[in-house]
Order: sequence, then structure tokens, then C-alpha cells
Amino acid sequence: MAIEDPELLAEFIAESRDHLSHVEGQLLEIEANGADIDVDLVNNVFRGIHSIKGAAGFLGLVTVNRLAHGLENILGLMRTRELTPTSAMVDVMLRAADALAHLVNNAEASNDANVDDHVMRLDAIFAGAEGGAVAVVTATCTAVAEEEQRELDLDSAVDFVEQAMFADAADEDNADDAPLPTVKAELEPEQMPIEAVAPPAPSIIDEPKSTASAAPTAQASAVVAETSIRVQVGVLDSLMNLAGELVLGRNQLIQALNTDAHVGIEAVASRLDQVTTELQEAIMRTRMQPIGAVFSKFPRVVRDLSAKLGKQCDVVMDGKEVDVDKTILEAIGDPLTHLVRNSIDHGVERPDVRVAAGKPAIGTIHLKAYHEAGKVRIDIADDGGGIYPEKLKKKAVEKGVITAEQAGRLTDREAVRLIFHPGFSTAEKITDVSGRGVGMDVVRTNIEKLGGTVDVDSNPGQGTTIQITLPLTLAIIPSLIIQSGEERFAIPQVNISELVRLRREEMAKRLDLVKSAEVLRLRGSLLPLVRLREVLGFGLPNAAATETDPQATTNIIVVESGQQRFGIVVDALHDSEEIVVKPLGRHIKNAPCLSGATILGDGHVALILDVAGIAAHEQIGSAHETAAEKSDETVHGDDESQSVLLFTNHPLDHFAVSMDVVARIERIRTDQIDSVGGQELVQYRDSSVPLLRLENVITARPAETQNWVYVIVFAIGGKEVGLIAPRLEDIRRVPTNVDTITFQQPGIQGSLIISQQTTRLVDLFRIAELAHAEWFADQPKPSVETGKKPLVLLAEDSTFFRKQVKSMVEERGYEVVDCEDGLIAWERLMVGDLDIDVVITDIEMPNLNGFELCQRIKQSKWSHLPVIALTSLAGASDMQRGIEVGIDDYQIKMDREKLLAALHNFTGSKAGSNRRHLQPA
Amino acid sequence: MSTAVADRSGATAELQFATFYVGHMLLGVDIRVVQEINRQSEITQVPHAPDYVRGVINLRGDVATIVDLRAILGLPPSETSRQTRNLIVHHQGEAIGLLVDQISDILTLREDEISPPPTNVEGVDGRLMSGVCTLDSAIVVLLDIDEVLADSARQE
Repeated sequence: MAIEDPELLAEFIAESRDHLSHVEGQLLEIEANGADIDVDLVNNVFRGIHSIKGAAGFLGLVTVNRLAHGLENILGLMRTRELTPTSAMVDVMLRAADALAHLVNNAEASNDANVDDHVMRLDAIFAGAEGGAVAVVTATCTAVAEEEQRELDLDSAVDFVEQAMFADAADEDNADDAPLPTVKAELEPEQMPIEAVAPPAPSIIDEPKSTASAAPTAQASAVVAETSIRVQVGVLDSLMNLAGELVLGRNQLIQALNTDAHVGIEAVASRLDQVTTELQEAIMRTRMQPIGAVFSKFPRVVRDLSAKLGKQCDVVMDGKEVDVDKTILEAIGDPLTHLVRNSIDHGVERPDVRVAAGKPAIGTIHLKAYHEAGKVRIDIADDGGGIYPEKLKKKAVEKGVITAEQAGRLTDREAVRLIFHPGFSTAEKITDVSGRGVGMDVVRTNIEKLGGTVDVDSNPGQGTTIQITLPLTLAIIPSLIIQSGEERFAIPQVNISELVRLRREEMAKRLDLVKSAEVLRLRGSLLPLVRLREVLGFGLPNAAATETDPQATTNIIVVESGQQRFGIVVDALHDSEEIVVKPLGRHIKNAPCLSGATILGDGHVALILDVAGIAAHEQIGSAHETAAEKSDETVHGDDESQSVLLFTNHPLDHFAVSMDVVARIERIRTDQIDSVGGQELVQYRDSSVPLLRLENVITARPAETQNWVYVIVFAIGGKEVGLIAPRLEDIRRVPTNVDTITFQQPGIQGSLIISQQTTRLVDLFRIAELAHAEWFADQPKPSVETGKKPLVLLAEDSTFFRKQVKSMVEERGYEVVDCEDGLIAWERLMVGDLDIDVVITDIEMPNLNGFELCQRIKQSKWSHLPVIALTSLAGASDMQRGIEVGIDDYQIKMDREKLLAALHNFTGSKAGSNRRHLQPA
Repeated sequence: MSTAVADRSGATAELQFATFYVGHMLLGVDIRVVQEINRQSEITQVPHAPDYVRGVINLRGDVATIVDLRAILGLPPSETSRQTRNLIVHHQGEAIGLLVDQISDILTLREDEISPPPTNVEGVDGRLMSGVCTLDSAIVVLLDIDEVLADSARQE
């Protein structure tokens, strides 16, 4: 058929989809309400279907019109309360709505589609309610007979006929509440700011046959509406404003270029920089859509599938308003659906099993989306049977996925992760639901393709949670630019876990061969290594050149992808850049190891490396990793270690700062540094960060003049301060047995020998205090009403840290009793002669660790004492343990500001009375 | 979009071809598929690409694949020279550059001047051609761009 006005048709399709996208959820809600009809809700659906019907009639889409009419009839009866919705009716209506969606998506061909059985069933409900029950039975039975293979349809149709026959009786006592899956979700018909105009997902299990004929043409007409998205006027306005700013910037640029000395060009450049960033963000916003567009199909999926499997399941959804990029939204639908189906199929038990296990008969699947650390997290939690690690290990061994020996070494958490292993299906028996050759490994691969990660956590008997982390967008990805041979490549930051630089003399010690494969010794474990030149077939570098160059270093990028972790040896490292991803042409898009291309600042094309592809190409398996045994070369046995950033001020002066206190590291041009009244500043975002130079505060050779410098940014009382670090060397874990004698100087915590270089460990806060005592003037001091200083009991086994903490705390007006371990501290406390106000304890200590110490204190007469735990890095499991034993606060060892603030809180109005509850740091 | 003799409006319909040299062979492609000709020499190599792919270039913000016609036609490789050009064709929704040794003229031909391709011309497979045309001075081999840029099942 010919539609005269294609624009009108496109509008009809877009509008109808809009209506239909809500209908499914609304119908499910109508079902859940049962006899307690929400007239407004029914009216809503009615109006939607009614306007589809009207427009279809106008456009001559007779089939659409007929089907919509059938639906409308029933809704009409429901809104006048003449008909009580039952599950069977809603079944019919849902299928009809699906069929309607198909017709709308293929509007051009819709008049040839056959919707007779839908219409017949709808009419049967309508007629049944009117009282023509006997006629209905025959009519529906014929319809049923035509439907060959759909068992469920048949069942529900028979159900329905029975109910239709007894409709009058049922109306009275609402007897038709047979065990039905209830579906609970916040299904308010919300208006999304940017609407997904993707077609509503077709029902996955039972697709009425008649609509299948229309499917082949789906692609052609679907394109019509998908090329447009809705954008909020506010976003559009801000885009317009920014475009104006951009024009202004260009004009200023041209003006500046026309002057002789290019006056003010820096200002213009920074302005353009800012506008471009904002423009990029605004444009990204137009691509953002709420994840609810994907979530909204799950109530139906859960309802249909649990009914089919004879299970009962609720679905609860949180965070439907969380925005993600359109491309991610489109790509995440299938993996999520698979995971939800998996949860019902394998997770939630049958009602009898659940009741026997003392759980409610109805299972719950909890979908939750939220933002976390600039990423989107989606959790899919069920309260089903959980995964038994032992069972899984046994199967993995049977299937030859891992050896029995490897299985023995796996922790429970690691064992549960085996479900993501290729070729591993957890189903005891293969069902047609999840045993379709699509395993969890495919889900994982698909999510990783999006730059995301997936993890699983399970409590046997209690349930399983799948956690997905996704980037906010795919179009622009932060990457590290590296060089191999003549070419530069981009590696997405999401894959990079750290950078390792080996000097020539270290190479023999750190590089090794295991079964002819090269490995890197990294903090006691062996990491598989690949050389990018070889991976990419560029051949070996000129050996003579590197042999003779004593400065030659080897740059290794430690990358992670899924379960693989390995090092890539590259020729050189360049900058970090936010790159715009461009697709590769069809001749090369299948090249292994590459995932796309980008255009660098100088106009050159750089290819983007696909870390997973390299792992596959080089056959780095996770088995490789498990084979990596612990080497004996751990970092100085007994003591703890801390992560430090190594840098040089003058090339001969080596320094380190603890990574725990570093907020971030910036790279700036030296001409960006302003000097105001003798204080150097750099503009960052909307504020200015004061800069410090080491040579101004401590004895150090002045830095050489450079065009670019790094700035180590840290926070003092909520204010950011930067330390200029001309050259960064490495980030490393070093032992804490710091020599505190040789370099006794304010601002220097001590010295270490790192790579044969004497390196001074800088105390950033002390440096800041030395340079600007006034910044610390208003720092809280303990109140000294009675003339007595608050008394702190400190337990810390590392001499270095003990001295640090002690001096830091004493300086702020406290008195400190320090003890070498938990047991000594406990015994000291037991003596009972001290009026301790607060306890500060390390966690890892010999004899009695921090947890045990705290437990003892909390169970003694000193249970009122606040206990602050010091950790080098706060881990979640530690924290949990800490809460259990009653630790009041956690602080990171080297974060002096926070520790002192916490101390002040606990002693502020004298110990005991003002205890705050634990705030995870 | 084949360059084959497809115009049904009559035997005298005229077709235009952009002609160029690869080695000493004079080749032509239907001018309607030609997007532009440039001489950008900054080609980024693509590891593991098929050997007829020279690399990729930045074509005003898009990444375009550069295909080495010599490799496709089975001719011996040669160095790029000052005459080397990228003939950018628009094919299946994508801009692809053909690396050619030298650009020649635009040739206007009547359909009846084009003869069907022989099985091969100087070792070049006839399947890659849509026809040949004998001029006074030379033979012009008209390429079938669909065949030349077919990405699957190319015999190496």
C-alpha cells in the first residue's frame, strides 16, 4: 500500500511507539491491581490506544485500526468497571499490544499482516463480558487450534475460556487469583527527557505467529524514526549559547593573530579550551537517556518467564532515571536481558523449594542502576539459591576448565567467577531458556566490548548478585598514546592498571622466561609479557642502538581485560588524551588487536589497541596467570609497604611522596603559572591552586626550567594545594622501614634507597605548613580546659609510621603514649594508670592486631574509648570487619589532615560523650 | 553500483571515466563513484591488515582505508613517487582510497565504444574489469569497482 505522506507516517510511527512503550508496563500494573481498578491508569492506556486507532484510521492502516479497536473495547469496559481484569485477559492484551507494536513498526506492510487470532481473542473477552460466553468457547477453540506449537498460549486460552464462562461468578468474590506471578515495579508513566524511539522490545518467549510475517521488513521502516531523538529545550539552549561563545572565541583569536605580538592569544586559547570542553559535555548530554528505557521491559520478561518455569518472582527496580549514553543503552539490552533471565532460570527456586528453605514463596529480582566514580553501575540481585563454589569447582574440573590443583587454590569468590569462563554453563540441565549456547562468557565479552566490567558475588542459599560497571559514554575515551615502531597507538585507560619502567640494569632481575614465554616480576608475582612490536609484526628494534644506550629503559604497560592481566612492552609513552573513536573501514575492521582509530592533535591517524584482542591473539589465557607462582622476591618480608610517587626536582635530587595523600596529578605548561604577590598559582577549573616549590622550603637543588611540569595536587582542609614535581619517575610500592636519621629536616619524613638512588620521602602537609603557616592557623586544636592535654594511646608496629603519627599528633597539642604492637598497647591500658581519651591503632600488627585490640577494648571497662584504625588503604572487607569489632573510624595513614580532624572530633568536648558513628573513609 | 554498461537510455549514452596509471597500465573508474583525488602521503600502517591495504589516512576527520591497487591487480609493488595519488571513491557508504601511480584524464566514452573484458589483460584478472576500450594510443581497462573492493574471499 502507498502512504501518501511519508512525514505523516513517520510521525504516526513515532507517536504510536511512544504510546506503546508505556502500554506494557501499564497493562502489567492493571493486572497487579486486579479487581481494584485504577480508573486513571486504565484511562491512560485507553487514550493511548484510542489515538493510535484514530490516526491509523486516518492513514488507512486498517489492520492497525482493527487491532487497536479490539484492545480499546476491552479497556473501555475496564474503565467503567464492567470487566475485572484477570491475568488471562492481560495475557491476551499484552500479546495484542506486542502485535500492535510490530504492525506499527512495519506500518507500510501492516495491512497485509494477519491479526485475526488476536482480534478474535480480544473480541471473545469483550463478548464474554457482554454475556455471550457459549459462542466464545467455540470461537476461541478454533483460534487455539490454529495455533500449533504454542503450549503456553493454549493453556492461557483455555484458562481464559473457563474464566470467561464463569466471569459473572468470578466478579463477586474475585476467585481468579490463582497463583500468578506478581510484578511489582514503579511503573509511573514518566515523561523521559530524551525518549528512546527504539521499538519496544518484542516479547522474547511467545511471539504470536502472525506477526512473524511482517518481521523481514522491520529494518527498512524502523530506520525512519530511529534517526531522531528528543532533546530538552534547556540543553539545546545551552548548546546555542556555547556555539555563540565559540564564535566569539574565534573572533578574538583572529583579532589576536592580527596583532604583531599576538597579544592575548593565551587568554583566547584557554577560553576556547573551556568552551570546547563545555560544548563536548553539552553534546554528550543530548545523547544521554535514562536507563529506564531498558529496564521497562523486564517486568514483562520476569512475568512471562517465571510463569513459564512455574516460579513466582517479583521485580524491583531502582535508579531508572540514571542517564547513560544512547550507544551503551542500545548495546546493554541483550546482556541485561540474558542476566535477568538467568536469575529466574538458575537463581530463583521453585515456590515449594523456597518455602522449604524458609524463604517467601515469591522470589525477588532487584535491578539497581546508579552512578559510581564517573561510571554507571548496574546490579542484578536475586534472592535465589546462590552459587555453591564447591559444586562449581567440581564441574570446572570435570569440564577441564581448570585442574584439580588450581581448583584447590581458588577462593570461593574466585570460584564463583568461573561462571564467566568460556564454555561453562551452570545449568544442571540445559533448558531452552538459558541453554541456547549463549553463556555468561558471551555476556562478559559483550560488556567488555563496551568498556565495562562484570563481576559476580554469591551467598550459597541466599542469592546471587551480578555487578556490571559501564562507562558513561563510548564516543570519547580517555587513552594513553604510546609508540611502537614508527606508529603511535592509543590504549584505553580503562584497560591500564599501571605503568612500569625498567632501567637497563633492572631488566635482568625483573624479566624472566617461563616455558619460553617472557614474564615480568611484579610485586612478587609473575606477569605474562608481550612485546607490541612482535604482536603487530613490526620486527625487532635495532638491537645495536639499544645495546649501546645506557639510558635505555623498557616501558611496560600493565593491562587488564576480563580475567587476563598482562604487560605490554612498548617503545615509548606519549601523552594521555581524550580520543574520539572513529570506526575502521570494512577491509580492516576485522583486524585482530585493533578496536578502532582516532585522529590525534597533529592530524595523524592513530589506531586504538584492543587489549582483549591482543590477549586472544597472543593466547594469553587466565590459566597463564594462575600458573604464575609467587616469587620469593617479595618486598622486604615482614613489613608493610606503601605506595609512593617518585619524582625528581633537580635531576639529581630524588623525592617520593605517599600516594595516599595525593589527590591527583596534573601536567601543566609553565607559562600557565601566574605569580601573585610572590605566590605562584595555577588556574584549575574555576579556582586557583597555590603552587609550592620544594627548593623554597627545604634544602634541594632548584628545578631546571622546563616548558611542562607536573603538579602533585593534595588537599589541606578542603583547599587544594599543588607541589611542583618537574619530572615524574614512577609509582612504586616501597617498604616502610624508612631511614629517619640521615635526613632530619622539617618536611622530610626520612629516606629510602630506591633503585640505587637515595630518595627523600616528602611530607606534603609539613611542606605546606612550612611555606604557609597561616593556612593552618585556624586548624582545630584540642580544648585544654583543665590544663591537661588529651591523651592518645597509639599502637603501631612500624617504627616509621609510629614516629610520624606521634609527632604529627603531638604537634597538634595531644599527648601520646606509643606502643610497638597491639598486645603492648593492651597491657599498657590494663595497667590502668592512664586517663586515655582516644586509641589510634594500626590494623596489621604482630601478637595482637588492630581488630583484636579493638575487640578487647570494646568488651572491657574501657568500651567507651573511641578507636580510630589506621590503614594504608581502606579495603571494604577490612571495613566490614572493623564495624563488627566496633572500630569507630578509619583513617588512611598518611592523610594527616583527616586523621587530625577525626581526632579532634573524638576529643573535641573531652573524650567519651561525643562519639560519632563510623564513617567509612 | 557497477560501472558496467548500465545506461538503458540508448546505445549512444555517454559515460565518463576518471583514468589513471598503475605501472604502465591505463585504468579507468566510473567518475560517479569518485569523490576526490588527493596526494596525502601520511599513511598510518595497519598491523594484521590484508596485504592489499596500505593503511589509513585522516580524510578531514574521517578515517579512510587506503587500498593498494597494485596488490589487488597482482602487479609487482613499487615505491611511492611525487606522482602518487589517492583516488578516493565512495563505495558502499564508505570513503576508500585507491593508491594509483599517476592521474590521467577524464575520458568520455559512448557505450558502443566499450568492449567486454577479455579473460585477462597483461596478467590482470578479467573479473576485475567491467570492460575495455581501445583508444588510438592505448588500451583503457575499465575497473569494476565492486569487484576491486570486494572484501571477502579475495584470493591472495
